[in-house]
Amino acid sequence: MQRPDWAPDDIDVERPSVARMYDYYLGGSHNFAADRVAARAMVEAVPDAPLMAQANRAFLRRVVQYLGDSGIRQFLDIGSGIPTVGNVHEIAQRAAPDARVVYIDVDPVAVAHSQEILAGNRNAAVVREDLRRPAAILRHPEVTRLIDFSQPVAVMVVAVLHFIPHADHPEETLRTLRAALAPGSHLVLSQAGEDGRRRAEQVEAERVYRRTDNPLCIRSRAELTAFFDGFTLVDPGVVWVPQWRPETPESAEDAERAGFLGGVGRLDG
Amino acid sequence: MGEPVTPGASCPGTFARAWAKAVSGTSYLPMTQAQLEEMLQRLTHRLAAALRAEPFDPRVGHQVGAELVAAHIASAEGLGRTVEVIQLRLLRDLGLVGDDISDRLARLLATVTTGYARALRDRTLDEQESIRRAAMVARVQAERALRDSESRFRHQATHDPLTDLPNRTLFTDRLAAAIAVPGRGADRVGVCFLDLDRFKVVNDSLGHQVGDALLVQVAQRLRRALGDHLVARLGGDEFVILVERTGGTDDVVEAAEAALAAVSEPALVDGHELSVTASVGIVERPVAGTTPGELMRAADSTLHWAKAAGGARWALFDPARHRTELARYALSAAIPAALDRGEFFLDYQPLTSLRDGTLLGVEALVRWRHPELGVLSPGSFIGLAEETGLIVRLGGWVLAEACREAESWAAGGGPAPFVSVNLAVRQVNRPDLVQEVRGLLAQTGLPPERLQLEITESTMMSAGAEDPVRALRALNDLGVRIAIDDFGTGYSNLAYLRDLPVTELKMAGEFVTGLRAPQVDPASRTDERILASLVSLAHALDLTVTAEGVETADQADLLRAIGCDAGQGWHFGRPAPAARILEQIR
Repeated sequence: MQRPDWAPDDIDVERPSVARMYDYYLGGSHNFAADRVAARAMVEAVPDAPLMAQANRAFLRRVVQYLGDSGIRQFLDIGSGIPTVGNVHEIAQRAAPDARVVYIDVDPVAVAHSQEILAGNRNAAVVREDLRRPAAILRHPEVTRLIDFSQPVAVMVVAVLHFIPHADHPEETLRTLRAALAPGSHLVLSQAGEDGRRRAEQVEAERVYRRTDNPLCIRSRAELTAFFDGFTLVDPGVVWVPQWRPETPESAEDAERAGFLGGVGRLDG
Repeated sequence: MGEPVTPGASCPGTFARAWAKAVSGTSYLPMTQAQLEEMLQRLTHRLAAALRAEPFDPRVGHQVGAELVAAHIASAEGLGRTVEVIQLRLLRDLGLVGDDISDRLARLLATVTTGYARALRDRTLDEQESIRRAAMVARVQAERALRDSESRFRHQATHDPLTDLPNRTLFTDRLAAAIAVPGRGADRVGVCFLDLDRFKVVNDSLGHQVGDALLVQVAQRLRRALGDHLVARLGGDEFVILVERTGGTDDVVEAAEAALAAVSEPALVDGHELSVTASVGIVERPVAGTTPGELMRAADSTLHWAKAAGGARWALFDPARHRTELARYALSAAIPAALDRGEFFLDYQPLTSLRDGTLLGVEALVRWRHPELGVLSPGSFIGLAEETGLIVRLGGWVLAEACREAESWAAGGGPAPFVSVNLAVRQVNRPDLVQEVRGLLAQTGLPPERLQLEITESTMMSAGAEDPVRALRALNDLGVRIAIDDFGTGYSNLAYLRDLPVTELKMAGEFVTGLRAPQVDPASRTDERILASLVSLAHALDLTVTAEGVETADQADLLRAIGCDAGQGWHFGRPAPAARILEQIR
């Protein structure tokens, strides 16, 4: 007997959602009181949190632009969250209207909201699935409808891995995804990065996120680099996100304040 | 208010760059720095035009404020920095001077902030509404998913996963409802139990996948052929059909025939053309006074009648036959307890020498002193015991009891009589038969040559395998006598007489019954000739011959004349307790 994989009780606006907290950091109003309480506690602990979210969002924008310029026309954005300004499909389809994008998120409200945003967009879809079930993602009918895995695909796992603890074996998840990809595909990763100077802040941040369904798991540059196993890192490798192909030299200054490490790997033939 | 004069050079680019720098980082901007400067330069031109316009139009400020929000420069900090940079630099960078220029700037700033605040408020409200709607939609979707899964669960709980036919649960519910709350004119109900004939052969020879595919086809055909009647799969190759509101047995027979016809169409499964038949048990009766369980059991046992009659047919429930079967079942179920309580005992029938009238041996015959039914002869329970396998325990008891009693029979001058005990197929097939007999002989002290084991021809035929033959040889080597019982009624296969350590043939009573005076019945001559040939054949093989069923002195005379060694039957004595038989020889 197969139980439904989500129950109405899962949709609890009294419980902070990491997707809606992220929206709050980005200045959005797609959030509820509980989200704002948690997000404010986070900002109190880590005053740079909004800046970090912005930097990560800017990283996403530059990466999608880069991938579009490299000829990638298929995007699988896992952990897409609340669709807000500068979504992947907006950037990708501005560059190439036939670009196909499938968003994956585990948060049912984020998914419902994305459905509304994407209504009428034949080349974009959203699927409710969990990053920890990569096989289910890969065989989902909406995914197989839009994504041709015999052609290069960009798999984006942006600002999500810090919600996947070691016990859930993220490296195996990424290996499963990699096995489905054709040469020329790309893997994009970013996550909260370990920074010795901010140890106290990070402990506080972990405390805040324990209130959500997704405790925080901060990783080092080496750990994030290891996740690119099987891929060739694109220059400049795994860096603080503002340092990843900055548009102006000054935008890369003080990069570790952005708190997120990120990188892009290419699957060679 | 005069035209503002422009003393210095106008540098909107410089201003736009400063503005971009001021607002960058105040919120996420989905554009490059260059794109941002370009946009702000456009807004700078509009602000400059507004400052110069006559009359002053505040709507420009509203629009600029709204455009900033639309471009996602939408935060409190963004607004603060914008006000600051306009206040500090706009007039200077654009080289604007004039009497009322500061007034105009103040009014313009007021409209920009108003437009900005309005737009931000609208946007906040829109986003709040949209996220609430998303939460609601998510909840509705989750509820629908839950409902779907519940209905899927209900379907799974009441349907067979292979064929998607209703399962036993649903069938029983519908049958119970038909009985408990019959509609008007629905006071009778019928049930057909259907089972494919030799379905196991399909599974065993073609594999379970083909078997399953066949079941799916059969299910589809039954559903099609039976229209409104509920067809369910009980499991394996068992199906059941509910016929409600019957007028009599004909209605159910009609359904059964439709089902049999549907099943018997050749089926193409996985490249194999399969011809299957089915058997159907039919029960049809008034709903009053019956229960679903009773109906199902009755239909099930009726199905077995159809099977026993060769399959590919239906059988109709017969209450008298059912009662007999139930009684037989009750009897067989009572055997173990009866053994424990010592309700069985042995009678013995003499095996008398035709040469000199001495008692050669006795055949042990088991009796059951049933507490309610009185003394039962073997005919009423041995068959049951053989079917159920209880014959092993019962036969073991008979063998042990016979050995125990026989040991004490003192010889009245001549050699003491041997005891002859029947062995069933299952006993012969047991690997520890030799050990059991050897143990009994040792335990009771009965000399091996005083034990005879009677085996029927069919036992020999079905035993066939090597192990029972080896066991019989081992027993014979011990000195135990082996007799073939009822010889001449089975296949009378002479080959095993060559291979087996047989001591004696017991001629079936049928041949003896036919022995009458030849002038009365010419057929009697034939029986006599057969008997004579068998006796001479047996003697040629060094076997002794005992004739069973000897009832008259004439028969005894004829058998003696033929050369038969011994006789058994009413003429020589009926079965009786050992003591009575032994009295005769003293």
